[in-house]
Amino acid sequence: MIPQALALPQQFLAGGLGMLADEGDSHFPPSVNDFYFPSLFDPRYYPWLTKFTLLVWLAVALILVFFLVGYRNPKMVPGRWQWMTESLYGFARNNIATEMIGARGVNFAPYFTTLLSFLLLTNLFGILFPIQISPNSHIAFPAVLAVISYVMFNYVGIRQHGFVKYMKLALIPPAPWFILPILIPIELASTLIIRPFTLALRLFANMFAGHIILLVFTLGGFALLGAQTVAIRPLSIVSWVMAIALTFLETLVAVLQAYVFVVLTASYVGGALAEEH
Amino acid sequence: MTGDRSPHSGDDDETAVGANQGWAAVSYLIGGIAVWGFIGWLVDRWLHTGGIATAIGAVLGAAGGVYLIVRRTAPDSEGRR
Repeated sequence: MIPQALALPQQFLAGGLGMLADEGDSHFPPSVNDFYFPSLFDPRYYPWLTKFTLLVWLAVALILVFFLVGYRNPKMVPGRWQWMTESLYGFARNNIATEMIGARGVNFAPYFTTLLSFLLLTNLFGILFPIQISPNSHIAFPAVLAVISYVMFNYVGIRQHGFVKYMKLALIPPAPWFILPILIPIELASTLIIRPFTLALRLFANMFAGHIILLVFTLGGFALLGAQTVAIRPLSIVSWVMAIALTFLETLVAVLQAYVFVVLTASYVGGALAEEH
Repeated sequence: MTGDRSPHSGDDDETAVGANQGWAAVSYLIGGIAVWGFIGWLVDRWLHTGGIATAIGAVLGAAGGVYLIVRRTAPDSEGRR
C-alpha cells in the first residue's frame, strides 16, 4: 500500500495511525489517534459502530437493568438492590435537585438521576478493567449531553418567564446603568456560549487527559522495559506503580466530574427558574 | 440512607453550592476577559492601534467579571446564587 519512497516515515505512520494498528499494539508515546477506534464490523457499512458506540449501549442497558431490577418488587423495607437505586435517586433528588433548584427541583430529579448514573458509569468505564476507556473522552458524547442541558435550562426559563422577561433576568444584572454596557455582553457570552462549552469541555478534557496519562505511564513502562540500556529497565516498575496510583486518582476524577456536570446543570436550571438572580 | 436525610442538612449542601459558585466565578472572569478582549481586538483591527485596545478591553472585562462575581455570588446581596 505504502510506496517505496515513503518507507522512512512508515514507522512514524505506524505509530501515529493507532486506528490502523491493533489495540494491543503498544506504541509510545500515545497520541490523539488512540481515541479513534476502528469500526467493529465492516467499516464500509458500519463506520459509526465502534467501541464507544458499544459502550454507550452497554451503559444504557446496565442502567435500565439496574433500576428495573431495583424497582421490580419494591418493599417498604428495601433490600440491598432497591436500597442502592433509592440511594442514587435520593442523592440526585435531595443533594442536587432540591438543593440547587428548591422544591420544584423534584420535577427534574428523574433526569438528573439518569444523567448522574449515565455519567458515573461511562466515566468509570475509563478505569474498569477490560474496557479502560470512557466514551466521554470523545468530545461528541459530552457535547450532546451539554446540548441537552443547554436546551433544557433555556426552555425551562422561557416557559417560566416568557422569552423577554427570561432574557432580561438572564442578561441584566442588578447594577447601576452606566456599568450595564460592560456587563451585558459578559452575561450574554457567559450564559449562552460559555456555559454549554465549558460543560462539555470540562468533562471531555478530564476524561481525555485521564486516559492519556494512564496510557503514558502504562505504555511508558513497556517502553522502559524494552530500553537499550539494561540499567534503565527496572524503572518500568516505577512507571507502572505510577499508573496504578493514577488509576485511583482517575476514579476520583470520574466520580467528581459526573457530580459536577449534574450539579452545574441543576444550577443552570435553578438560575433559569429563579425570579431574580 | 440518603433518602432519609432532610434536604437541608449539613456539609453536602455546602459542597454543591460551593462548586457551583466556584465555576460561576471562573466563568464570569474568563468570560469578561474574553468578550471585552475580543471587542478590543476588533477595535485594534479597525483603528490599527496595535494591541492597546485589546489590553484595555481585557482589563475592563476582568473588572466587569469581578463585579459580576461579587454581585451574583455574594451571600445576602440581591443575587440569589
